[in-house]
Amino acid sequence: MEIEEKLGVLNYKTDKSYAHITIDPVICETCPDRFCTFACPAHCYTVIDNKINFKYEDCVECGTCFFACSHGSVKWTNPKGGHGIKYKYG
Amino acid sequence: MMSEFDVIVVGGGPAGTSAAIRLAQNKVNVLLVDRADPPGSKNVSGGVLWGNDLGKIIPDWEKIIPVERLITRKGTTFLTKDSAISLDFSSRKFLTNRTGYSVLRVKMDLALAKKAKEEGAMVIGGVTVDSVARKDGKIIGIEQDGDTITSDTVILAEGANPRVAIDSGLRKPIGDRDVAIGVKQIYKIPEDKINERFNLSGNEGFAGEYVLGYLPDGVEAGGFLYTNKNTLSVGVVVSPSHLRNYGQMHSYDIMEEFVQHPSIARLVEGGRLEEYSAHLVVEGGLSSVPKLYGDGYMIAGDAAGFSFSNGLVIQGMNYAIASGIAAADTFIEAKEKGNYTAKALSDYQKKLEESYVLKDLRTFKGIENSTWSSMAHRTIPDILERFLFRLNLEDGLPKKHILELLLRSVSESGHNKTSLALEAYRMMRRM
Ligand SMILES: Cc1cc2nc3c(=O)[nH]c(=O)nc-3n(C[C@H](O)[C@H](O)[C@H](O)COP(=O)(O)OP(=O)(O)OC[C@H]3O[C@@H](n4cnc5c(N)ncnc54)[C@H](O)[C@@H]3O)c2cc1C
Ligand code: SF4
Ligand code: SF4
Repeated sequence: MEIEEKLGVLNYKTDKSYAHITIDPVICETCPDRFCTFACPAHCYTVIDNKINFKYEDCVECGTCFFACSHGSVKWTNPKGGHGIKYKYG
Repeated sequence: MMSEFDVIVVGGGPAGTSAAIRLAQNKVNVLLVDRADPPGSKNVSGGVLWGNDLGKIIPDWEKIIPVERLITRKGTTFLTKDSAISLDFSSRKFLTNRTGYSVLRVKMDLALAKKAKEEGAMVIGGVTVDSVARKDGKIIGIEQDGDTITSDTVILAEGANPRVAIDSGLRKPIGDRDVAIGVKQIYKIPEDKINERFNLSGNEGFAGEYVLGYLPDGVEAGGFLYTNKNTLSVGVVVSPSHLRNYGQMHSYDIMEEFVQHPSIARLVEGGRLEEYSAHLVVEGGLSSVPKLYGDGYMIAGDAAGFSFSNGLVIQGMNYAIASGIAAADTFIEAKEKGNYTAKALSDYQKKLEESYVLKDLRTFKGIENSTWSSMAHRTIPDILERFLFRLNLEDGLPKKHILELLLRSVSESGHNKTSLALEAYRMMRRM
């Protein structure tokens, strides 16, 4: 089963007005490893046209990318006011 | 100025809810805040709960907590590309000497939050704490969306990704060596089919741990498969430093490869994927435990780095509960003297040193070097596979003694038996 399909079974309360994680595209531009794309279990970091594309909407808030990125590009905060991932089982 | 609350607990996992329950039972004016709505709905465990500590705050906890199955069968399996080598232990003794229940965290944490409310705690879900509030260097409450809510003491129980503690400078940021990445899938399978497939009856449960010896050299990961009433919890735990060094493998692919391994695929077959989740697992041992208390605060559970994992079990919920209760008890004693300074709260450290929480962390100092070793993940599965294959093969040749077969498997695997024995001995001593 593809990761996109797996993410499709999840429920999110997406905060359209606040991205709880942001990256610095200038830092990512010259990144030698792009480890975020391997580490993130929710496929939020992908490479499109040799640029990093980040989708906060699919994030399951595990916290991995904050330390996976060793170049200081990731700014990580918790979603606000009950937004974000909402599991049924956990 | 009077504080609005005696205690604010940040985080409604087992650490925070246990603390809040104990505090409320002792007439402490406590506020429990969780970022999820309902509380607990962002939490993930494997999970097998060793819940005896809950008995201290909820005598009939086995009825209050929606437990799934009582674990009566344990499996430890080395997986290679072609083989599965298991030690399967099922015992009726587990019916009387209970070892653990499978649980699903969203249901469990909600039940604990309800209990805290019943005991008199104020419980709020859907509120994210941004930082602690400080005055004259002391912690005097929390900041939330521009508001300050004050309390005499703050208990930080925010889990394995403790942003508040990190951003407030109360612990160092998480690094590759402090945690592992946990990825999990839930499959729905009818109850009777689970019983049939896992050789169980009634509410008996199976908990299997796996060493993923088929992964490329350098990537080390463990797997688990636990039975719930009518779902299976299946997951992997991956070391980020190995993933980083290897640099070509996706964490989510390790999950997928696990469920596609023939011996796992058979067990989840026909199951509908109900949920996919990911969460950090605390793995750092003693060296990643921060300072546990200070003027007006204590840190409990995963946020404090309390966990135990030897590759065969992950335990964290029990340490979370035990430390949450210890923090509550420390506050209750401090309240009698009206003193919430670091000195007054230092008793928290003492309580943990006397309990299994810090004792275990000291006993198993350095264990992460064994659980995440190529000895456990490659060498042992490889030699066992060669040996058992030989032992069971009927090739028409004269038979050999078992010891001879074993030694031959060792030398074929390319290892020197003396250095191997030494390495194995060192590993066993740490575990
Ligand atoms: C894949 C996996 C398998 C595991 N298997 C097992 C197992 O089988 N047995 C076992 O005992 N342990 C297991 N563990 C470990 C166990 O899950 C943890 O040790 C346990 O959850 C720790 O409890 P806690 O209360 O400290 O933290 P959590 O349970 O993480 O609770 C923290 C709470 O704080 C909330 N929070 C965080 N930040 C904020 C904020 N800023 N404001 C408000 N709220 C906030 C979170 O939403 C959460 O509800 C497993 C862990 C994982 C990831
Ligand atoms: S987020 Fe970090 S690891 Fe990922 S591409 Fe940018 S700099 Fe590299
Ligand atoms: S927090 Fe986890 S799921 Fe979210 S973007 Fe980072 S790595 Fe991906």
